Amino acid sequence: MSDEEHHFESKADAGASKTYPQQAGAIRKNGYIVIKGRPCKVVEVSISKTGKHGHAKCHFVAIDIFNAKKLEDIVPSSHNCDVPHVNRTDYQLIDISEDGFVSLLTDNGNTKDDLRLPTDESLLTQIKDGFAEGKDLVVTVMSAMGEEQICALKDIGPKS
Amino acid sequence: MQGFPGAMPDAGQLQSTLIAIERACSSIQMHMNPAEAEKIIISLRQSTMPYHTCRFILENSKMPNARFQAAGAIGDAAIREWGMLTDEDKKGLILFCLHYTMEHASAANAYVQLKVSAVAAQLVKRGWFDFVEAEKINILLEVKQAILGIHGSDVQFAGINFLESLVSEFSPGTSTAMGLPKDFHDQCHLSMELNYLKEFYCWAQSAAANAVDRIVGGYASASEEKVCSKALHFMFQILNWNFQKSSSALDYSNNKSNLASSGIRHDVVQLRKFERSLVEPGPLWHDALLSSGHTLWLLNFYATLRQKNSSDVLWFDFPLAVSARQLILQLCSLTGTIFPSDNGEMHIKHLIQILSAIIDWVEPPNIVPGTLRSGRSESEMVDGFHALLSMATLTSTMLFDNLLRSLRPFGTIHLLSALTCEVVQAHASKNDDEQTWTSEGLDILLEIWTVLLGRTGNEKKLSAESIASASNLFNTVVESHLKAAAESAFEDDSDADYFHVSVSKRDETLYAYALIARASIETTATFLTKLFTERFALLSQHNERWDPTQTLEELYWLLLITGHVLTDPGEGETVLVPEAIQDGFAGVSDELQHPVVVLSWSIINFARQSLDPEMRKMYFSPRLMEAIIWFLARWVDTYLMPIDATKGHLGTSGHDEEQQQDSQPSKRFLLSFAGQNQGQIILDIIVRISTSTLTSYPGENELQAFTCRKLLVALVRRRHVCLHLVALESWRDLARAFANERSLFSMNSRLQRSLAETLVSAASSYKDLEISNQYVRDLMGPMTAHLVDISNRNDLKAVAQHADAMYMVSCLLERLRGASRATQPRTQKSIFEMGYAVMSALLTLLELYKNQSTVVYLILKFAVDFVEGELAFLNAKETSILVNFCLRLLQIYSSNNIGKISLSLSTSLQSEAQAEKYKDLRALLQLLTNICSKDLVDFSSDSNEVGSTDIAEVIYVGLHIVTPLISLELLKYPKLSCDYFALVSHLLEVYPEKVAQLNKESFAHIIRTLDFGFQHQDADIVDKCLRAVNALASYQYKEKTAGKEGLGANAMSSEESNGEFQESILRYFLRLLLQLLLFHDFRMELAGSAADALLPLLLCEQDMYQRLVQEFLDKQSNPAIKTRLASAFSALTSTNQLSSSLDRPNRFKFRKNLQIFLTETSGITSII
Repeated sequence: MSDEEHHFESKADAGASKTYPQQAGAIRKNGYIVIKGRPCKVVEVSISKTGKHGHAKCHFVAIDIFNAKKLEDIVPSSHNCDVPHVNRTDYQLIDISEDGFVSLLTDNGNTKDDLRLPTDESLLTQIKDGFAEGKDLVVTVMSAMGEEQICALKDIGPKS
Repeated sequence: MQGFPGAMPDAGQLQSTLIAIERACSSIQMHMNPAEAEKIIISLRQSTMPYHTCRFILENSKMPNARFQAAGAIGDAAIREWGMLTDEDKKGLILFCLHYTMEHASAANAYVQLKVSAVAAQLVKRGWFDFVEAEKINILLEVKQAILGIHGSDVQFAGINFLESLVSEFSPGTSTAMGLPKDFHDQCHLSMELNYLKEFYCWAQSAAANAVDRIVGGYASASEEKVCSKALHFMFQILNWNFQKSSSALDYSNNKSNLASSGIRHDVVQLRKFERSLVEPGPLWHDALLSSGHTLWLLNFYATLRQKNSSDVLWFDFPLAVSARQLILQLCSLTGTIFPSDNGEMHIKHLIQILSAIIDWVEPPNIVPGTLRSGRSESEMVDGFHALLSMATLTSTMLFDNLLRSLRPFGTIHLLSALTCEVVQAHASKNDDEQTWTSEGLDILLEIWTVLLGRTGNEKKLSAESIASASNLFNTVVESHLKAAAESAFEDDSDADYFHVSVSKRDETLYAYALIARASIETTATFLTKLFTERFALLSQHNERWDPTQTLEELYWLLLITGHVLTDPGEGETVLVPEAIQDGFAGVSDELQHPVVVLSWSIINFARQSLDPEMRKMYFSPRLMEAIIWFLARWVDTYLMPIDATKGHLGTSGHDEEQQQDSQPSKRFLLSFAGQNQGQIILDIIVRISTSTLTSYPGENELQAFTCRKLLVALVRRRHVCLHLVALESWRDLARAFANERSLFSMNSRLQRSLAETLVSAASSYKDLEISNQYVRDLMGPMTAHLVDISNRNDLKAVAQHADAMYMVSCLLERLRGASRATQPRTQKSIFEMGYAVMSALLTLLELYKNQSTVVYLILKFAVDFVEGELAFLNAKETSILVNFCLRLLQIYSSNNIGKISLSLSTSLQSEAQAEKYKDLRALLQLLTNICSKDLVDFSSDSNEVGSTDIAEVIYVGLHIVTPLISLELLKYPKLSCDYFALVSHLLEVYPEKVAQLNKESFAHIIRTLDFGFQHQDADIVDKCLRAVNALASYQYKEKTAGKEGLGANAMSSEESNGEFQESILRYFLRLLLQLLLFHDFRMELAGSAADALLPLLLCEQDMYQRLVQEFLDKQSNPAIKTRLASAFSALTSTNQLSSSLDRPNRFKFRKNLQIFLTETSGITSII
């Protein structure tokens, strides 16, 4: 294989680029896409043509991954769309502060204290209850384009 | 009335029930507290012996709804308590219902009378074999008198109504189950057909005949007209009966020679489409339908009425007209032994008689659509088409054509062609937006053409006149469609596209057009070439300002129709050159002059123009390319290096006399013009066109999908074509681009999978095994290397989550998956190497991408496909490598997903997440099922080697890992639960001994899911659960009789906190199964597997069984039911010399016993 092929542009220092261009025709349902500057998850793709003998256009229906708003976009299928880098990181939950912030343990032993508790009622109670019962909880934090949010929770058993 | 069952309640009680029911009915109607009201009504239906009450309501209530409910309650209760009623009671109930309908025949709210009559019919059927013949005849005599009109026309109507309910109760499709086995229904069906059906028909006929005279005379009352149309409709219903007796009555083999000469077809079984069937009542009906002049009478009647009402545009939809026409159609579809074996003479006469009448419905062709536009209903015309379809189905093509000749100077096909022309034109001209009759009419007409021309051999021979008509028709078809295409060219390509309701519908239409074209192929091929060349030429003399869109759309349509004319679809079959094309063109003596060759070349040359970037940009729109690719795919299958070219002989469906002139040069041209030499050139052109669609049409998914999934697949389908293919420079270029270049990565990743599959498939054409494998290595090596590279990167953790990295990994995985799907014995080795090389990389990636469901899914799916393709070939060592890999995969997946709760603000994202989880689990189950198959199919040479992996062991470890992930919530997905229960029942059946080794938790989980499965709606799943329980219990019983431990401690999992499993598992299932059988609406089709599961359970737990039976009996308060139930229970285990073994004969006996038991008890207990 020749050297210049198959290497992706992103470097290890992620912050530089928050998105990556990808051909609209190659974006599938359940993929990610940036619409109106927001990172979204695609829930529906339909293809139409401009006139019978025109080129294909992709019609995306997508949901903002942070605020759950529905967004739509139409892009010629040969054009590029921005695809957000969506990162999910697991942290162990150390503490819940009274002002609604959580304290998380990072991989390198530091703590991360800038995240709010989720607004979602059920996740919120699960975190609070689980924590109160002394369970060992791991939370998954989703981050994209400079925003972060807790999106999942896993119980890795009581502290032993 | 005498013999009314049950005790007579006092008047006050009757009155209060009446009021309660009336109140309930009115509150349901007004939607006030419907649940409460329903409860009251149900309690009436379920009460014991409610007959007097119901009768009181029927006779006294002013509210029709209440009377309706009361009638229903009589039916329910009588069916349920049938065993407890005396014969006198039963007859009393039936007569009461019957008299009720007659007495109230003229009352309003006909639905009440209908219901009562349906209940009577149900009861008659229930007692069909209980009553002596004389009793039945007595009842029916009363009905007969009513129908013959002694008591006036309203009672006549009620009588026909009753017979109608009776006949529909006796036909299998519309009968009420009544908890009786299929056997009973079959016997009723036969008995009705043999003894009564014809008589009923004659009664209705005389009822109709009486009315007809008065109607024709013009002094009939409205109710007489009603009776007449009802009678005709009832006769139609009788002729719709599924006649059993006739088909076996006569052997056709002795009049096979007649068949060919007369042209009447005896081999047809049904009219395709349109939900109509042929009528085969057998010789007994000869006098009623044929020799008595019945048909003529009906035709004359209709014609007279038609004449009288010709000015009334609405008359054609009147019930009387509709029923008369329906009956005529049914008579037109008569066939079989009702006609004497007189060389079809009588049948032909019969058809001509009908044709002479219906010809008025459709003639003259150009007038009919005209009058429809002016507001007349199309129903008569459509019925006329249906009649023609019946005739076409029943006769050979030649006979069909000749039918009309005694009436007109031309044949039927000429008429058909003229009709089709009119309808096609009306259909294609968009002005008539509102008229749906064109598409309905066109459907039927095209079906007639398909029937006439879709036959093989002698049966579809056409006269010169017919060929000319077909050619004429095809010209009209093409012209009107081209016109419509040009007009629609500027519309947006959306679903509303009126031409293509759906692709399959469109293809069906085009197929019919193609058959018409092939009937006159010698002219149509040239015609199509001319049209095509004209439009091609138009493009070549382009100037900048000219808009080619209309021409492009015309070309698009021409490509579609030409593809259909020249080739058959041949899904999954070996495609041959269509017979009509092979047999035609007798006079052609030069290959280059052969019209089909000329047409093919003109299209290929046209397609080649798309390789010129200039031309491509200007004219070859994605849509046009789609048609080209589609055409080429079909053409390649049919004409490119055809299989029999070398032998110079075509194996068509054996009519040998014709094969004598096989050396006909025109046929040879067809097979050789794209043979070895020219074939290679064409192949090269096609590969280059394919490559250009993949690279020069970025983002055109549909086009690229056509290329990857249709055209390229067609190229690699046949080995001898493939052999030339892999030798081509253009093919190697494509492979190289795939392996080493970036450009193809921008294609939709699913298409990359198909492309990989196709490219790898081509490897099997190499003669040398090593070269095949080397080809695959060259192709896939870069992929594996790249994937391993990625997984080894130091900064992997940081970059892996980036969109571009994920995209690349997904593409690579899809490609690997495609390659695994193309595994063949010849390439198995290199594919295994490929999979082996990435195993550890995949495990790393699975861990890394645990939060990226799309990647996880791809990894799992790759494993599924890889195992499916490879496992059968692997030796012990490779198997253990693969199996260990799968187990690791399962473990990692499981550890990352157990106990995980993902939540999202958006419900739709939440359900997406759920759906993803479900897809993952299905993949895991498929993986386990595929691993299972190693035990069944094993091609490896050393399967007996020591140290080979125990597959059962692996599956159980796998199951341990997977079961905790499967929640009862997820089992609600039908496909997942189907897969899951299939796997579990398979495992329990094949390796029950391993169950004992499962740990308690997993075992309990499996049992819990089985428990869940029993409550499932899907009979298939319940069946699987029954099989699983059967396996479990049989194993336990065998072990116990052999004095072993069997399920041991697992059988006693009584620690469930919720009390579900307080007793042993088998006892639990025994109770569950008995409850299912007795108290639920048990489905009779499951009786077999239920018996199989119940027998071992009952043998294992004798004491428990006795206790349960006693428990059920004790709960019965009604002594009559109690005794019946007790005797049913004792018969279940004691009759038929049932022994206590689990061998086949014994199981079989038990199945029979259970069937009897269920018939006996069904109904009694369902409401307790």
